[in-house]
Amino acid sequence: MDKNPYRSVKTEVLEVITETPSITTIRLRPSEPLSFSPGQFMEVSVPGVGEAPFTPSSFCGDHEKMDITIVKVGKVTEAIHELKAGDIVGLRGPYGHGYPLDEFRGKEVLVVGGGVGLAPLRTLMYSLFDMRGDLGKLAYRAGCRQPCEFLYREEIMGWLDRPDLDIRLTTDQCDETWSCATGLVTSIMDSSCVNPANAVGISCGPPVMMKFVTFRMLEMGIPPERIYLSMEKNMSCGFGKCGHCRLGTFYCCKDGPVFTYAQIKDIPGIWD
Amino acid sequence: MTFLSRVHFESLLKALGGTHKLLFPVGSGSKSHFTSIDRSDPGSAFIGGVRSVEPLKAFFFSGRERVASGFEPGLPGRELQPLCVVGAKACDLKGFRILDHVFLDHEFGDPTYKRLRRESLVISSDCTDALETCFCTSLDGLPYPEDGFDINLSPVSGGFLAEAGSEKGRALMAAHSSLFTDPSPKQQQERRENREAVLEKLRTIAEAGGTPGAESLKGAVARRYDAPLWAEEAATCVECGACNTICPTCHCFYLYDQMAQGTTGRFRMWDSCLINDFARVAGGENPRSRLWMRLRNRFEKKFDFFPKVAGEFACTGCGRCSAACPGRIDIRRVLRRLVENG
Ligand code: SF4
Ligand code: SF4
Ligand code: FES
Repeated sequence: MDKNPYRSVKTEVLEVITETPSITTIRLRPSEPLSFSPGQFMEVSVPGVGEAPFTPSSFCGDHEKMDITIVKVGKVTEAIHELKAGDIVGLRGPYGHGYPLDEFRGKEVLVVGGGVGLAPLRTLMYSLFDMRGDLGKLAYRAGCRQPCEFLYREEIMGWLDRPDLDIRLTTDQCDETWSCATGLVTSIMDSSCVNPANAVGISCGPPVMMKFVTFRMLEMGIPPERIYLSMEKNMSCGFGKCGHCRLGTFYCCKDGPVFTYAQIKDIPGIWD
Repeated sequence: MTFLSRVHFESLLKALGGTHKLLFPVGSGSKSHFTSIDRSDPGSAFIGGVRSVEPLKAFFFSGRERVASGFEPGLPGRELQPLCVVGAKACDLKGFRILDHVFLDHEFGDPTYKRLRRESLVISSDCTDALETCFCTSLDGLPYPEDGFDINLSPVSGGFLAEAGSEKGRALMAAHSSLFTDPSPKQQQERRENREAVLEKLRTIAEAGGTPGAESLKGAVARRYDAPLWAEEAATCVECGACNTICPTCHCFYLYDQMAQGTTGRFRMWDSCLINDFARVAGGENPRSRLWMRLRNRFEKKFDFFPKVAGEFACTGCGRCSAACPGRIDIRRVLRRLVENG
């Protein structure tokens, strides 16, 4: 019999973690194992309300549980924010192509994120830490508007002590609780953080941020085919049928959501 | 090629009506539409003529379809009776080619569409006329089917010349072999003349409208991406989405969850890329916030995206959108302006 690609897997909400006033993480246990790789996305549904696409934010080696970090921006995300432990949601996926981790072996890696983009990047960082011995230098740059909006703040502050990570953090506006830099994330992308001749650049965050981060990476000398961007389109089906997420000759859902800048740079309006 | 008399044709339809949901066109000219055997007698079927008002996708990929129930792994409840569509036109078959490309892949194929395509029969027919809005030949099509059918019927006096185009069609003709007889040379001559006459009419229509040919359309949307023509053409668009709904190749949909009697139903509903929210992301950004960008998107999808990913235009030349548009946006005029730098 034909598979039903539209059907979600029954999933239990194990825990709801408030990250910032507008961002929540839900810890999920699907009734069937769902394994994903960093950068791939899932469709999460609240029964009777609807579905929306999200990228997991937990370690992909855990096949039992999955964390999904969600900003409150619409009908579905609002319903997700009201969930409690024990509630049931639906999960479909994973969809699309994530980061080609194997191609990163032997390379220096610069990861730059902003806002809620730090969620998918946390999954990626866990995998990069896991394969740390196979990588050259690893640099992490993150920013957001205000310190109170800094996602996973405590955990990421903890990374400041890692000797194997070159990490710098910034916020656009600072307050008395903030001891790191102030300014846009591009201002902490120092030229010497990686050797562009052998580096990959990765960026995930709001479109304007990714745009300027990409330009900064190019300026640093990282070539377009080694800059990886996680594109956001309004995915619905997740597998190249519904037509919502077209990006030039690609469907973001099945050809992405991670693209190299070389793949998409000539498509008009990629940052809109 | 064999001959099927009108009387035998009707008995064939009645026989097929026992095993399939039989759909055939009634009415003529620009007003023909499909009906089913439980509503009309096959005697009223009008085979030949031109395309129906509605696109055939409506029967295989319906406007609203339950695609999942709760978390149940199987396919949702609807009893799917295999269809037998009689009187599909060449442009309708081309429409199937595009939808097949979208919906028939192995891993994520749409289960309902897949099953209906696999189990249904398509009996096509030559066009015996062309509408003023028809332009299949400009896009390298022909007004008579050459492939993509199970059986094709060419209307001739007293009945049809019948030709099988698939294993299913051959088996069907073999099973009803007593209905088919040898064609006369005169009937074959009649078919040639009809085909030539419709081609000639299409040539005249295309010339009068200055409709560009397929060759000149290659790369045209990309070349004219920033041209003022998009905003000019969109000036009369009222954002109704009729062009999408009526189009035999438009396949976009959205998924909609609805709670009923304690279980969630997931529905696949036709969507329209002309409508404002089509590409809006959850955060609120809309990459195609202006109406003209959405109009351009429709042409980009059909005349740039599809040729690149599927090797052909996702336009059949049926002219349904031109006929349906309340803003009188004629697809051929847009195409002409594209290539004429107008
Ligand atoms: S577009 Fe061509 S194939 Fe379609 S109805 Fe018109 S003449 Fe027939
Ligand atoms: S049918 Fe005409 S008016 Fe309606 S959305 Fe399409 S182009 Fe606009
Ligand atoms: S989400 Fe449906 S085509 Fe990409």
